[in-house]
Amino acid sequence: MAVRLFLCSVRTGDPAVGKTALAQIFRSDGAHFQKNYTLTTGVDLVVKTLPVPDTGDSVELFIFDSAGKELFSEMLDKLWESPNVLCLVYDVTNEQSFLNCSKWLEKARSQVPGTSLPAGVLVGNKTDLVSRRVVEAAQAQEWALGQGLECFETSVKEMENYEAPFQCLARQFHQLYREKLEVFHALA
Amino acid sequence: MRKVDLCLSSEGTEVILATSSDEKHPPENIIDGNPETFWTTTGMFPQEFIICFHKRVRIERLVIQSCFVRTLQIEKSTSKEPDSFEQWIERDLVHTEGQLQNEEIMANDGHATYLRFIITSAFDHFASVYSISAEGIAVSNLS
Repeated sequence: MAVRLFLCSVRTGDPAVGKTALAQIFRSDGAHFQKNYTLTTGVDLVVKTLPVPDTGDSVELFIFDSAGKELFSEMLDKLWESPNVLCLVYDVTNEQSFLNCSKWLEKARSQVPGTSLPAGVLVGNKTDLVSRRVVEAAQAQEWALGQGLECFETSVKEMENYEAPFQCLARQFHQLYREKLEVFHALA
Repeated sequence: MRKVDLCLSSEGTEVILATSSDEKHPPENIIDGNPETFWTTTGMFPQEFIICFHKRVRIERLVIQSCFVRTLQIEKSTSKEPDSFEQWIERDLVHTEGQLQNEEIMANDGHATYLRFIITSAFDHFASVYSISAEGIAVSNLS
């Protein structure tokens, strides 16, 4: 079987942690399916198709990217109604940006009606700035685990590991789909 | 005239468009008369499908069996081609844990050649539709 799933992800985090850079590098790696849009609302949308390993299925990832400071403006409320998954980004050299992730997560989850919380990933960026690192990987890992998020570290500058968080989002979403199919079968 | 279920592939009805397709759960499952099969959306909303009767019908009662559908809009057309749809019915559905949604709608002015179902929002990332039955009469053939 080959299903193409459609996934809407909202990326959030403090300004200047590298959210936009992460999306830019992800879109520009030369894959066939890359399609770029700029919404007139000032939100940037990156669309990309990711195959889910060992399934024949693929996930079309719609990543809405926005500057942290304007994220909860009225203009974007609609967008926030039901993201499927979240991508929280912080800067490993900026402790406040990491601490603020819980604030972003809480806000994001309060937007989602009902009980099904969106899954997601936590991404620590700027690992190339080794001497300035203040947020340790273990510390981020521990917090992420407690929140049900998977944890990644990247260096957009060095183009390291930038695809892993997105592949993880696609895998998580595919898993949600399979779980829901089981529910649908059970109710039939 | 005989009242029949107009939404059956065995009556010549077809689903001519659906915005999601998992080949294991195709939109034809909505009108196959089998309550065990379903069509599932594959991510994001709105989602829609269009049912073509291939004749003029008058619908008196609709029953929709689904899961996780929150807001449903139904439009209808009386044209020969699938165009000129007009808003017909809008419903907010309730989710009951562990049960299918069974939405019954008594229809006014049910003249149609096509129906367009739009799921504008859902209670989950995905929603499914098991069956739609449209009780009514076949009025005339399209000439």
